[in-house]
Amino acid sequence: MQGAMKIRVNSEKCSGCHLCEMVCSIYHLGVVNINRSAIHIQKDDLETGACEPIVCRQCEKMPCMAKNNQNSAEYRVRFIWEQGLSETCPFMALFHWNDEVYHCDLCGGEPQCIRVCSTGAIDIEYGYDT
Amino acid sequence: MHPAVLVKVDLESGKISRGPISGEVLQDYLGGRGLNMRLLFPFLSRPGDPFDPTSPIIMSPGLMCGIPSLGSRMNISARSPESGYLGDSNIGGELGAELKASGIDCLFISGLSNTPVYLWVHDCEIEIRNATRLWGKDSVQTQKEIRKELRDDCVKIACIGQAGENKVRFACIRTGLKNSAGRTGMGAVMGAKHLKAVVVRGTGGISLKDPQGYLESYQKIYSNLLQRKWVKALGRLGTPLLMKNSNELGFLGVRNNQQTTFGKQGDALRAEHLKHYSKGMVSCTSCPAHCRHRYQILDGPYAGTMGEGPEYASIGSMGSTLGNGNLESAIYATELCNRYGLDTISTGSYIAWAMELYQRGIIDDSTVGYPLCWGDQKAIIKLIHQIARREGFGNLLAEGVFASEIFGTEADKFLLQIKNLPIEMTDERAPKSFALGMATATRGACHMRSRPSRDVIGLPESALKKLYSGKVSSSHLDYSGKGRMVWWHERLNALCDALGICRFLSVFSSPHAPQAEEFSELLYRAFGEKFSIEKLWDIGERICTIERMILIRNGLGKVDDTLPFRYFDEPIQEGPAEGQAIDRSQFNEILEEYYHLHGWDSRGIPKVSTLKRLGLAEIASTNARCNED
Repeated sequence: MQGAMKIRVNSEKCSGCHLCEMVCSIYHLGVVNINRSAIHIQKDDLETGACEPIVCRQCEKMPCMAKNNQNSAEYRVRFIWEQGLSETCPFMALFHWNDEVYHCDLCGGEPQCIRVCSTGAIDIEYGYDT
Repeated sequence: MHPAVLVKVDLESGKISRGPISGEVLQDYLGGRGLNMRLLFPFLSRPGDPFDPTSPIIMSPGLMCGIPSLGSRMNISARSPESGYLGDSNIGGELGAELKASGIDCLFISGLSNTPVYLWVHDCEIEIRNATRLWGKDSVQTQKEIRKELRDDCVKIACIGQAGENKVRFACIRTGLKNSAGRTGMGAVMGAKHLKAVVVRGTGGISLKDPQGYLESYQKIYSNLLQRKWVKALGRLGTPLLMKNSNELGFLGVRNNQQTTFGKQGDALRAEHLKHYSKGMVSCTSCPAHCRHRYQILDGPYAGTMGEGPEYASIGSMGSTLGNGNLESAIYATELCNRYGLDTISTGSYIAWAMELYQRGIIDDSTVGYPLCWGDQKAIIKLIHQIARREGFGNLLAEGVFASEIFGTEADKFLLQIKNLPIEMTDERAPKSFALGMATATRGACHMRSRPSRDVIGLPESALKKLYSGKVSSSHLDYSGKGRMVWWHERLNALCDALGICRFLSVFSSPHAPQAEEFSELLYRAFGEKFSIEKLWDIGERICTIERMILIRNGLGKVDDTLPFRYFDEPIQEGPAEGQAIDRSQFNEILEEYYHLHGWDSRGIPKVSTLKRLGLAEIASTNARCNED
């Protein structure tokens, strides 16, 4: 059976255009601000040129919830999380800005970032429940 | 529109002020090149010294920088040290978007600091900081050092290398590994001001009037764009894909344009060979095309060279223009220019000039200090070092066009230049629209002001007529309608530069790529402002006309809208464009057609009625040379 939707990252294809970050903040917040996005491009622009999109991996067991007695299912579909939760992701894929933390909610099933990734550095993948 | 934010910095007094640019001005000029020209006009309305401390350098991101768009480009403008006239250069990368995120729409820098400084823009906070320890460092070292000092790898930096510090007249401004505000010597202006860098960190947001509507419109336009063959090819090969066409059609400048095809040696410079060095493609902010390679040379004499690009313009300027068919050396020479902060196009053109003088015996070893033969990689590289450091013969060439005063009249003839800017890596004797565009470009010889390009790809005349609203010959060798083409593209490109839109994401790549209609839709969704298609075209016309007024006020006119002697007097001797030259009479006809369409008189001076229509009459009121219809 088809598993949960997630965003698959192929860093080698990323050209670093920042469009994914921009549309994320527009879709969720109505503003363009790449600091307020649930996906981030980490760049080494003056050295190796590596660009790495970092985004929530939609872990089945959410380690980010381990220290929080919260309802994981509810948080899975929330974009803005509370301050302090950004440190709990082992993949450093929760980003904070001031007192907000941004988490990829997959735009309710139609991730906007995928639609503006011309290189295929990010696309949709379905994991399998085990 | 909401007022824009203008930040004025006086490097002499250290005074920094922030003020508005009215919504009315924005409606007329948008941003980027448009805003720069409006603000620069009073300072360039009479001849002057580009190194005068009071002469400003202006940096403005295009209006749509920082939001999902079609590139994210900005313009840097000042009086040109290279030409003495209009200096203006367009630059991609990430800086324009970062400036917008800092809340700044225009940075106006005047004065001269006594010691090296850099400007640190951190959102609302702006300070002038000491850059003494950065002086003498190249453009990449400088960026790394500044990031280390500020402990922030996200800051974006526009800086100069040693060439700018040494006021080499064709020094550029650089950001990132590759992006350059290349032509017209803007780096020398920064160097003269002792301004090593402008450093920006912007963390603010940009509000959109209709966010979801904007996403819908953008995704529609984006999807259309990605269907275009040319955009796909650029994303695979980058601009070097043009090398094949130029070489095979006889458009390539070879050995200072003594030839226009490089034959099999040209094949060695073709884009396909870059794959060997490429580690992937990279983009400017907000660009879906990703047209440049991230490369590294792993072995051979140039092992260890790494960077981004190189562009067709640089491979041509460091390759075929110099009779150099060694791709790796052309890449290395390009990177050397980049690190020093030299414009690769002008550097190649001046070296080509010197090589032809050497070939003809006008200069010799006693002038140069060593043989300067076509294709001599070592000599090319040595001369680049000398130019940037102003050493030996390089110190003479660092003066650019003004060096011809030193070499004498005979030498001057072989310096192929237009309005004091040397011609580029392409030869325009065959494509007549390109030739006119080079002759009329407001910043001097420049392929980017118009670059019509639509008649060289075999579009039928019916398609050209639809695009240009008038008859245009489909043969690139023909003159008919080429005035119309150049007029049309100049306005579109000026509009794109005001919006921050890249050439490759508009009509340059396809007649079906986004243009005024799509820009209008995006502007409405983003800012809630209705710009009709006519109004957008008028903005392009306004920018072209204000630039024309600057030229007129600096004493230029129809006589300067011309081409080097070789284009008229030396038909191409061999190759696919054999026999092609520019016919003076037919050239004059398309020039007059071009003036007429712009609303300029037969001398190329904007008519009063044109100035009134474009709302320029008031600022031109002291313009003694405008025609009274």
